[in-house]
Amino acid sequence: MSLFGAIGISGSGIDAAQSWINTAAGNIANANDVVPTSQAVYGQETPIFTPQGSLGQVGDGVAVSGYDVADTEGVVEYQPDNPMHDNQGDVRVANIDLGSQMVGLISAQTDYQANASALSHAKQAYQSALTLGS
Amino acid sequence: MSGIVNVLQFAVDGLTQQQQVIANNLANSETPGYTAQDVNFQNSLAQALSNSNGATASVTTTPDSAAPATDGNNVDTGNQMINAEQNTLQYQATVELLNAQFRLVQGSAGGSFS
Repeated sequence: MSLFGAIGISGSGIDAAQSWINTAAGNIANANDVVPTSQAVYGQETPIFTPQGSLGQVGDGVAVSGYDVADTEGVVEYQPDNPMHDNQGDVRVANIDLGSQMVGLISAQTDYQANASALSHAKQAYQSALTLGS
Repeated sequence: MSGIVNVLQFAVDGLTQQQQVIANNLANSETPGYTAQDVNFQNSLAQALSNSNGATASVTTTPDSAAPATDGNNVDTGNQMINAEQNTLQYQATVELLNAQFRLVQGSAGGSFS
């Protein structure tokens, strides 16, 4: 058990929530990506959260162990006016589920706030411990 | 005198561990398959204190039995926030009691009581 351990644990949670917010922002920013049908398009990314530390003991927080990339096939749309269209007039458009990204963004924000609050509680407790004997 | 200090010190240790477990539960509130952990030392401490022959109290960490959501995670964020609030207040109260004990000793030894 490290000194001021809870602050590090909450920090890892804040990091994870931040990664999630960044991922959602990246997905939304790429929602309108268009490429020729011969290429792969942007695939929706999801962070993979992994608990740290061993089971049955006080854990060590959380970490983002990687990013799951959804299919890069996207959706083929008929856009004959688009300069990237193929012989059939089709282009490949990123398949981003805007609804799930917005919900994820709210969850990530709540997650971030919960961790920040736990950190502030830990800080208060540690500060009171530092008054011991004074 | 030292008995009270020992009891309070044990409580601070238990509360510190509980605080880390709460922080860990909140950090993993969105991790699929994560099972929340609970810390209990109060029951063990109460038992040890009521035992006239003397006994040793211990801090135990157990998995939370709450039903998991579809992703296998059973962390109740609201519950954990309440626990964090309680934990901090208990921690501060315990530290205040320890300080009161120290002031008592200090005063009795000829120093200032405040």
